[in-house]
Amino acid sequence: MNLIVLIKKSSVELSLKKVGVMVMKELTGRIVNIQKYSVHDGPGIRDLVFMKGCPLKCIWCSNPETQSPSFQLAYNSKRCIGVESCGYCVKECAQEVFTINGKNNIEMDRSKCINCLKCVNICCSKALHVFGTDMTVDEVFKKTQNQTDTWRSNGGVTISGGEPLLQADFVTALLKKYKTVGVHTAIETTGYAPWERLEQVARWCNLIFYDIKILNKQKHNNYTGVDNSVILQNIKKLTEKFPDIEIIVRTPVIPNINNQEKDIINIVKFLDGLDNLNDYELLPYHGYGSSKYLQLGMTYKLEGIGSLEKEPIYELNQRIRKMLNLRKKV
Amino acid sequence: MAMNACCLTEQEKRIESGAGQLSPRQRINGFLSNFRDQIPRIDIQRAVLFTESMSQTENYPMNIRRAKALNYVLNHIDVVIEDNELIVGTCGGAGRHSILFPEVRGPWFEKALRGAQKSKAFQISDEDIQVIKEKVIPYWKGKSAHERYLAMLPPDTREVIYGNDNWGSAGLLQDNANINTTLNWAGNYKKVIDKGILEIKKEMQERLNKVPDSDYSKMAFLQSAIIVCDGIMGYATRYANKARQLALKEKDPKRKEELEMIARNCERVPAHPARSFWEALQCQWFVQTAYKLEQPTVGVISLGRFDQYMYSTFNKDYQAGVIDEERALELMECLWFKIANYVPFNITATQNYFEGYCHFEQTVLGGQTKDGHDATNELTYLILRSKKEFPLHYPDLSVRVHSRTPDRLLRAIVELIKEGTGFPKLLNDEEIIPFILQNGVSIQEVRDYVPCGCTEVRLLDIDTYMAVGCNLNTPAALEMAMNDGVVDIDGTKKKLMAPSIKATDIKTYEDLLQNFTEAWDFLVQHYYKRQAALEISNAACLAAPFMSMLNDACVESLTDIHQPIRGHGLSKDTGNLSVIGFGTVVESLAAIKKLIFEEKKITLDELKKALEANFEGHERLRQILLNAPQYGNNDDFATEVARQADEIICDVVRRYRTPNGPQNLKHVPVTTHVAMGRKMNATPNGRKAGEALSEGISPTQGRDTEGPLVTLLSIAKAKSNLYNNSLSRLTNIKISPQILTGEKGTRDLMAFIRTFVDLKLWHIQFAVINKDTLIKAQKEPEKYRNLIVRVAGYSAYFTELSPDLQNEIINRTEHQMC
Ligand code: SF4
Ligand code: SF4
Repeated sequence: MNLIVLIKKSSVELSLKKVGVMVMKELTGRIVNIQKYSVHDGPGIRDLVFMKGCPLKCIWCSNPETQSPSFQLAYNSKRCIGVESCGYCVKECAQEVFTINGKNNIEMDRSKCINCLKCVNICCSKALHVFGTDMTVDEVFKKTQNQTDTWRSNGGVTISGGEPLLQADFVTALLKKYKTVGVHTAIETTGYAPWERLEQVARWCNLIFYDIKILNKQKHNNYTGVDNSVILQNIKKLTEKFPDIEIIVRTPVIPNINNQEKDIINIVKFLDGLDNLNDYELLPYHGYGSSKYLQLGMTYKLEGIGSLEKEPIYELNQRIRKMLNLRKKV
Repeated sequence: MAMNACCLTEQEKRIESGAGQLSPRQRINGFLSNFRDQIPRIDIQRAVLFTESMSQTENYPMNIRRAKALNYVLNHIDVVIEDNELIVGTCGGAGRHSILFPEVRGPWFEKALRGAQKSKAFQISDEDIQVIKEKVIPYWKGKSAHERYLAMLPPDTREVIYGNDNWGSAGLLQDNANINTTLNWAGNYKKVIDKGILEIKKEMQERLNKVPDSDYSKMAFLQSAIIVCDGIMGYATRYANKARQLALKEKDPKRKEELEMIARNCERVPAHPARSFWEALQCQWFVQTAYKLEQPTVGVISLGRFDQYMYSTFNKDYQAGVIDEERALELMECLWFKIANYVPFNITATQNYFEGYCHFEQTVLGGQTKDGHDATNELTYLILRSKKEFPLHYPDLSVRVHSRTPDRLLRAIVELIKEGTGFPKLLNDEEIIPFILQNGVSIQEVRDYVPCGCTEVRLLDIDTYMAVGCNLNTPAALEMAMNDGVVDIDGTKKKLMAPSIKATDIKTYEDLLQNFTEAWDFLVQHYYKRQAALEISNAACLAAPFMSMLNDACVESLTDIHQPIRGHGLSKDTGNLSVIGFGTVVESLAAIKKLIFEEKKITLDELKKALEANFEGHERLRQILLNAPQYGNNDDFATEVARQADEIICDVVRRYRTPNGPQNLKHVPVTTHVAMGRKMNATPNGRKAGEALSEGISPTQGRDTEGPLVTLLSIAKAKSNLYNNSLSRLTNIKISPQILTGEKGTRDLMAFIRTFVDLKLWHIQFAVINKDTLIKAQKEPEKYRNLIVRVAGYSAYFTELSPDLQNEIINRTEHQMC
C-alpha cells in the first residue's frame, strides 16, 4: 500500500518519489509578491497578488520578475553590505558565479549558476534573494484575508502578474475562496490564453482589467512577442458572455511605440464594437521597473526613454470616454 | 527625483511656491507678521508677584496662601491690550512669552535661565535674571516642590533616576516630577461660561455658612475659593478699565467701538454667564489664564470639548444674525493667537525630552453627548475649517470618533489630514469609554470624557489624581536582562541589579524573559517609589484653589485637588507609567528568540559582542537581526512575541501600588524616545547606539513595510488584553500623499479610520508628508521655517526640532502607493 503524503515543495516530491511514496501534491501557485494597501487596482483598499509567469514579453514591462515562470535569483546591490564586511556569497558558491569587482561589490556570471540557492541562504541582508515562492490557496488566503473582517473601504483582492491565466486552476480556486467570504475580486490579464481558461477564471471575478496594448498585429508581435488575435477574440466573447462583470480595458501608453493618437484611436475603433464595456483607461508609461532588470541581470531596452507628460494623456482619455459613451471617470 | 505636483499636500505646495501661509482674515495676518521671528520672552512678573505674596502668608493653610498669591498676581500683573485684539488678557505681557513657577523648581532657575539665554531658545534680560536671583530664588531655596520630593526619595531611587544632576534625569527613568505639578488637564470652562463666577462664589459662600465652626480645613477650602473668585473678577475689571481708557484715546472709530465692546465684555464675564459667542470666548480665555497662572500643567491646560460648551452661544448669535461664519472664525482665531503666544518654559538639563516649544492645549471635537448620541454640530465643522485656514499650529486639535461618527465629519477630518499638518489626532470612544467605565463611573459621565495632553483623558468633575508620572526605558531592562544587571547609559556602565539567571547561564528564551521580567520589575519598583514620594510631597506643599473650585469632587469633599480625595472623586491616573521603546524591545526579543534560540544562527555572546562594538565589524550580524521577523508586519511569530511582552509589562505594573492605589501604564513618549535613544547603546533589533527608540506602541521607524492597515492590525494583535491597566496607546502613522489623492484617496482614508474604530485602538494620528520635503527642509531650513509636522501627540515646526528628532521623523515609514 502506498503512503499518501500531502506536500507542496517539488524538491521533496522528487526525493519521496525515489523512496516509493506516492505523492498527492496540493495545488500551489507560484507567486512573486503580495502587496498590501494597494489603492490603484480596483475599488477601495486592496491586496494585490502578483502571479509568476507570463506568455508575453513586452519590452516596456515594469515587472520583469513576473515574466519567467521559474524561480529567479536576483541581486539587489543597494542592500548588499559589500564584500569587505561580508563576501559570504563569494565563498559559498562552488560554481564561482560571483567575482569581486574591485569596488566592494560583486559581479555575477549567471550562466554558471545551477540554482542551488546556497548563496541566498547565506546572504545576511537579503541582497541576494529569489523571485518566486510556491504557496497554497490557504496560505495566500491567510496572508490577505486578515483584512477582510475589518475592511471598510469596499476593497478586495486583485490577482495580477505575470499572467494569472497561466495558473488558471490555482487562481480559480483562490478566487472561489474569496467569493465564499464575500470579498470583492479582480484580475489583471493580458487575455492571452485559451478561451476556456479565461471563462473558468472570469466566473469568479467582480472586475476584470483587460490589457489591449497594440491593435496592429505585426507591431503587437514585435513588441510583446505574441500574436494579438486570441486577445481580441477573447475580449469580444468576454463582454458578450459576462454582461454582469465589470470590465475595464487598459492600454499602457509607451513613448515611441504607441503614443501616437492614431495608435490609440485604432484600439478605440475596435472597442466601439464591444458591448458592456465599463471603462477604458490609458496608463502613461513610467520607468519604475528598471532597477529590477538590473537585479535580474537583464537588460532593459527602454532605459532612459523618459516618461510621458500625464496631462495630455488624461485629456485624451476623457475624450475617448465620451466617444465610447463611457461614463466620465471622477 | 522631481516630485509630482499632484502628490504634494497643500502645506507642501504653499512652501514650494514660497508663499507661506496667510490667513484669509486681515486681522489675523496683522498678528502674524512678526510671530515666527519672535523668540519667546521670559516674563518674570508671575514669579516675582507670587513670591512676594507667598513670603507674607506663611502662617496660613496652603490653599489660602495659594489663593492669596493667585489673587495678588491677578491684581498686580500688567494689563496689556495689543493692537487689534478682540480677546484680551495675558499671563506675561505682549507677544510670545513664558512664565516661571519658582515654587516648583525655583533654585534651578539661575542655571536654567542663563542656559536658555545662551541657547537663544528664550530671551531674558540680565536685569531680569538679577531680579530672579535676588527676589525669588532665595525665598524658595529648600522649599521648592522638587526639593521636597528629592528629600523624600529613597537614595537608591534618586541615584537611578537622577545620577549626579538632581534637576535632570539620567535616561533610565525620565522623571516628569515637578516639571509640571499636574497631569494633563482641561479646564472646566463650561461651568464658568454657563454660571458665571458670581454664582459660583455665592455657592461657596452658602457652603461656608453651613460648615461647622471647628472644621477649619473645609473653611479654608471655601475661603480660598472665594479669594480666587475675587481675583479673577478683579482681573477682568482691570481689563475693562484698560479697554475704556484706550477707547477714549482711540482715533479710529472702528477700533474705538471694538474697545468699548471689549470693555463691556470684561464687565460681563467671567462674573456673569456669557450671553454672546464673543463673551463666551473672552470668558474662556480669562478662565484659561487663571489656570495657567495658578500652576504648570502637563501640555498646558487643555481646551476641552470646545465645540460642545461653545455651541449654545455660537448658535444663538448665528441664528440671530449677530455673527456669520467669518466673524465667528475671526473671534476664535483671536483666541488661538492668545494660546500660541503662551510658551511653557520647558528647558531642563536634558532639554530634548520635549522639543519644539511644545504645548498641546488640546481642543476636542465630536464624540458623544451624555445620552449617547453623536455630538457633532455646526461649530465642529467651523473649527475644522479654521484649522485649515489658521496659519499657526495652535491649539492642538483632536476629534473623538466612534461607531456612529457621521460620514460628513469623517470626510472633513480626512480633508484636514490631507493638508499635511498632522491635525487632527483621533481618539476612539469605542476603546476609551469601556476602559473608564471599569472605574465605576456612570456611562453618562464617561461619555463626557475629555482628552487632554497627548492621548490621555479626564473626567473634569470626577477625576482628582494629580501626581505626574515618569517614562521608563524599556530597552534598558532588556540590556540588564542580558548583562547581569549592567546597563550602559551615556557611555557609563552601571550595575543596577542582579537577575536570577547569570548571563552565561541563559540557555532558553524563557530564561531571558525571566531576567527581563526581573529587570523590568526593578525599574517599575523605582517608579512606584518615586510616585509615592511625589504624591506625598505634592500633597504637603501644593494647592490649587482655582482648579479645585471648578471640580465637583473637590467641592463635594471640600478638599484641595492636590490632597488625596477618596469617596468623592476618582483617584485614578489615565496612564502614568510611560513605557518607552516597546517596538525596540519587541523587535529585539523576536530577533533573539528566532536567531539565537530557534535557528541557532548566532549565539548570545556573539550578539553581546556586536552590541558592545556598536556593530562595528559586525555589519553582517546586524543585517541578520534586521531581517528577523518584524513586529508591524502582522507576522505571527513577531506578533506573539509582542503580545507576550505586553503581558509581562502589564503584569509587573499591577504588582504594586502607591498610597493612592495601583497605577496604569501608557505608551506616550512625546519625544523621550529620541532623548533616551541618544544615551542608549546598540540594541538587538539592529538599532545602532544613539539612534531613536521606537515611538508609542508603533514598530521602529521604517520597519513596518506592509502598508498602514497591516501596521494597525499588528498593533491591535499585540494587545494582550489580560489586564485592565494599559491605556493611552499612541500610534503615529506616516502616509505618503500619493495614496490620498482625489476623491478615492479621501474615501479610502475614511474607510481606514472606520477600521481603526473597529479595531478598538486608543489613538491614531497621521503625518502626511513627502520624505523629500523633509530632507529638503533639513538642508534649507530658511525656506521651510513654516513646515509643520506631527511629532508625537503634538505638531511642531520641523526646523525648530533637533537634528536627531528630524531624522527620526524622516525615518518613520512612509506608506507608499503600491
Ligand atoms: S544559486 Fe548556487 S550556483 Fe547559483 S549563484 Fe547561488 S550559490 Fe552559486
Ligand atoms: S552575501 Fe549578500 S550581503 Fe554579503 S556580499 Fe554577498 S550579496 Fe552582499
